[in-house]
Amino acid sequence: MMEAERDAEGFSLSLTDISFEGMLHISTVRSPVARGRIRSVTPPRLPAGYRLILPSDIPGKNHILSFGAEVPILAAERASYRGEPVALVVGANPLVAAELARSTVVDCEEEEAVLSWESFSSEQVLSKRIAVMGDPDLAFSIAEETIEGTYRSGASEHLYSEPQGSVASFDYDKLGVWCATQWPYHVRDSVAIALGCKNEEVVVRPTRLGVHMDGKLWYPSLLSCHAAIAAYLVRKPSRIFLTREEDFLYSPKRARSSITLRAALDSTGRISAVDARVAVNVGAYGPLAEETLSQICLAAPGAYACPNLRVEGYAVTTNDPPMGAFGGLGASQAFFAAEATAALLAQESGEDPIDWKSRNVLRKGSLLITGEALKDEPPYEAIALRLAAASDFHRKYACYELVRKRRSGRADGPLRGIGFAFAYQGAGSFLTGDSPNSYTVEVSLEKDLTITIRTSAAACKPSVRAIWKRTAALLLDIPIDSVAVAPPDTDKAPNSGPVTLSRGVTVVNRLVEKACENIQKRRFRDPLPLTAKSVYRVPKPIRWENGRVEGSLFETASWGGAIVEVELDPWTLEPIPLSVWICVDGGLIVSRSHAESALRSGSADAIGLCVRERLDIASGAVTEEDYLSYGLMSPADLPPIHVELCETEKRPKSKGIGELPFDTIPPAFLAAVSQAAGTPFRELPVRPEDLSVVAEEA
Amino acid sequence: MRASEVYFPDSLPALLDLVRRMPDAVIYSGGTEILRGQSEPYARLPPEVISICGLSELRQVALTERFVEIGACVTIAEILELRENAVPELFALALRGIGTPALRSLATIGGNLASTSRFMDAWPALACLDALVELRDASGSRWVNVNRLAGSDGAPDFPAGNILVRLRLPLDRWDLVVLRKVGTRDYPSKDTAVFALATKAEKGILSEFRLAFAGQIALRLREIESKFIGRRLPLESKQRSAFAEEYHEAAADLSPRLRLQFGTLVDGVLDLLSR
Amino acid sequence: MTISFILNGEDVSLNARSYDRLADALREHFGLLGVKADCRRGVCGKCLILLDGRLAPSCLLPVFRVRGREVITIEGFSQTDEFADIMKGFAEAGLETCGFCDSGKILATAALLERQARPSAREILEEMASVPCRCTDPETMVKGVQAAAELKARRHYRRASQ
Repeated sequence: MMEAERDAEGFSLSLTDISFEGMLHISTVRSPVARGRIRSVTPPRLPAGYRLILPSDIPGKNHILSFGAEVPILAAERASYRGEPVALVVGANPLVAAELARSTVVDCEEEEAVLSWESFSSEQVLSKRIAVMGDPDLAFSIAEETIEGTYRSGASEHLYSEPQGSVASFDYDKLGVWCATQWPYHVRDSVAIALGCKNEEVVVRPTRLGVHMDGKLWYPSLLSCHAAIAAYLVRKPSRIFLTREEDFLYSPKRARSSITLRAALDSTGRISAVDARVAVNVGAYGPLAEETLSQICLAAPGAYACPNLRVEGYAVTTNDPPMGAFGGLGASQAFFAAEATAALLAQESGEDPIDWKSRNVLRKGSLLITGEALKDEPPYEAIALRLAAASDFHRKYACYELVRKRRSGRADGPLRGIGFAFAYQGAGSFLTGDSPNSYTVEVSLEKDLTITIRTSAAACKPSVRAIWKRTAALLLDIPIDSVAVAPPDTDKAPNSGPVTLSRGVTVVNRLVEKACENIQKRRFRDPLPLTAKSVYRVPKPIRWENGRVEGSLFETASWGGAIVEVELDPWTLEPIPLSVWICVDGGLIVSRSHAESALRSGSADAIGLCVRERLDIASGAVTEEDYLSYGLMSPADLPPIHVELCETEKRPKSKGIGELPFDTIPPAFLAAVSQAAGTPFRELPVRPEDLSVVAEEA
Repeated sequence: MRASEVYFPDSLPALLDLVRRMPDAVIYSGGTEILRGQSEPYARLPPEVISICGLSELRQVALTERFVEIGACVTIAEILELRENAVPELFALALRGIGTPALRSLATIGGNLASTSRFMDAWPALACLDALVELRDASGSRWVNVNRLAGSDGAPDFPAGNILVRLRLPLDRWDLVVLRKVGTRDYPSKDTAVFALATKAEKGILSEFRLAFAGQIALRLREIESKFIGRRLPLESKQRSAFAEEYHEAAADLSPRLRLQFGTLVDGVLDLLSR
Repeated sequence: MTISFILNGEDVSLNARSYDRLADALREHFGLLGVKADCRRGVCGKCLILLDGRLAPSCLLPVFRVRGREVITIEGFSQTDEFADIMKGFAEAGLETCGFCDSGKILATAALLERQARPSAREILEEMASVPCRCTDPETMVKGVQAAAELKARRHYRRASQ
């Protein structure tokens, strides 16, 4: 089998550095229109050694399956978004191939693009979710107070460590595929479908993944199909590697959402009803439509107890590029709306938000949207008290409220605000659609008393692999240096599902545990080497039927809260984050330093989303101007980020915590900015046009 | 891809001679402005390029009690590393907002000022400080106020055929300096601009008031500024409103977003002076 | 044109076209894969080198710009004592990176410590703006650089005492 260079641990290098002799380069011919019928694809005169690949050249099926959606590998008859791959040019010089691709004329009968998604036609609905609990209409009719608002989350760019791409090369009877992917087996199966061959004839060798922000769940499979098809046709190693600009312009972004939330309070000040209407723009094909919509709808009530609930959600397809996951599957967008609503309710009641939420937050026994009762008591007080003490929240909130109510202009002094948000991250949430019914991890105890862990999820962060190694070392009483994680190549590692939703720390780590326990039982009676396979059967997915949600919302959850303090710049009125406090109860924390570090870097990203990261995609395509303007927040502009971990469970389990900064910091920031500005904002980042309201009031 | 002719003059007279002979040649200093907007593998350059970063005559720094002189090819990073108070605070604030430390190691002050497509970060601060630049061409050298690098229509107006040799900054004391960059920080888009303000007051009376705002076009309104001089602080409400109206009217040619942000900044200044 | 410069301590010459970027030349001609031409706009930090000791994005340098100058890439820098100080300092602080921005962070640290023996947290974070990455934990980054600074200072002190 052809081999590319590997690092000391045996993992493939980054895709950028993989090169084979005689390798050819692929460039993509793209649709110039967002919607239309493709009449013809006409290349310029191709020099010797260059060829055009059309949909008709695909030996197998011309689609990949992505979580219930079929995404064309190359658009054949119709274009569904601007930039959609229509053909490929492959040849020896990447720059020549790129120029030939650019010069290829894609003649389309353009139709009016469908870009509207907050109001939409029934043909646009890819997925619908409706759930009703109790009698929300009655509750609203007798409510003491109601409030309503529409909260929007914009598209965001993943800015992962490395642009996307793939290399494919035939070696005798097998095809090797190198790419950075969160799900090697999805790549393998997609390529096999595209080539019309057996899964086992394709071997995926995942390259270094780095930071992915969930942008490499399914898209690498599409590019790997391009590389594989080219390699199949030209019989040479073939490489497709998007430039950063191309990746920015054409790869999937976070799905935009609009959540209209109406909440009712009863005479005791408790939430008596919530009505949520959710629209998610999943773009063309909607590869993660079902999952994203489900996650947002399930989290729509936030972390609050609510006896009467209606959630109505729609995943809407448009002629925008396909949109999808970003640091989770959308729950953060739901928490944004729920927490913003809670902040307003608390403000109107005149109560401190921490106290207001204490009265309304989920408790042990509270009914969840699935109709089940919450099994464990959320550690609300533990988290809220710690945060309040660390940040001096109560005093500051009261002080800033006073200023907000009495202020006559910005000449009165700095405009400040402080906000608090509370949310959960469900563990044991699973992707449905293409997920296998079970996940497998293998552990071997070798004759030389070294341990090898095999899992396709090994493409994750080194710190997560370190957790597995520690688990194995402790259970089998073997030095940690004698524990190795095998590279996640699909001919060596079993299918453990995608690297996402903190599964490495939860599901995979538990599987490592079970496998090691099995070996431990056998090791002194059976000869070495010993291998144990640990299988996890995926529970039945949540079902949305007849207006009800059936299933388990989560097996366990980690809980988190965040407080953000901001000040409006005295000159530009732009919000400047002054400080962030985040407290998380993540169950069993194997490495505190790694958990704290991960929360800090996640919080830095979350603040960046609040202050500067946003794509509008107004005209159905990401533009070059977007690319040149988009960027991460400078580390020098970040506020101090204070992280605390608390452990409240008697028998804690490992849980994921990576999404909690995204669930809590944006709504806390929004509440703080709204208080500082004296006007409720409903989306982030706050635009200059929105801030002009503050200037006018002043 | 057509290669450019690249010239490496080893002296200022040699540079001037090249410029005279090839008036369409592009002066390549740090090169950040030329290459930053390009993302293709090859660097797209004009047919003739004159690389000047090695010229020692353009890399001198001289500091006196009253002013500092900085050669055009001194990098932004090198200026920021001069000793404390070597350059006026307003200028230092402007330079710190340029790119990242790595970019500032390449970008030169000459390249920043001699841009013909738009005003870069340094201009508004230098305009407020009434900095001078030495320009040289075939006929000789002259000192020009930085404000004259903006045409009457507000567009950049760097004189063709001239080399920017050095910058001279007066080291005056100011009571209040404000520098803010609005719009996208990393990339100078149409909605990116820099706001600079410098004021002095003596015994509660404004003795100096300078305000500049520049992105694709520059706003420096001396006729409005002159009306501030001699005013007693705090400004009266009527005066404040009159100034606000004048500035808002003058900003009519800015893009809607910049007009809004300029208005917010001006209102902030007037609020401060009215307290 | 032939451009001669010093690369990782050795005199080299390269027949370069005016439009060749240094980042690509370092990778393709000299096989120095530690330099990655990612954004090609000088903002991502993955192509950083030391140019006459200063941090510079090699994607923004046409080859002709380094005529007569000294270029150090991560490969060359990894042979130095300063590199060892930085790696050890990062390890002491428990700094974890994504694997793609390491070279940039190491060279940015090197450039900073050359100017400032004991940089403040603010100075460190400003320097790291040259290598923006989602994996960055600002607090651990600061600790890592300060630990590296301490190790470098002690090494110099030991050398001076000998």
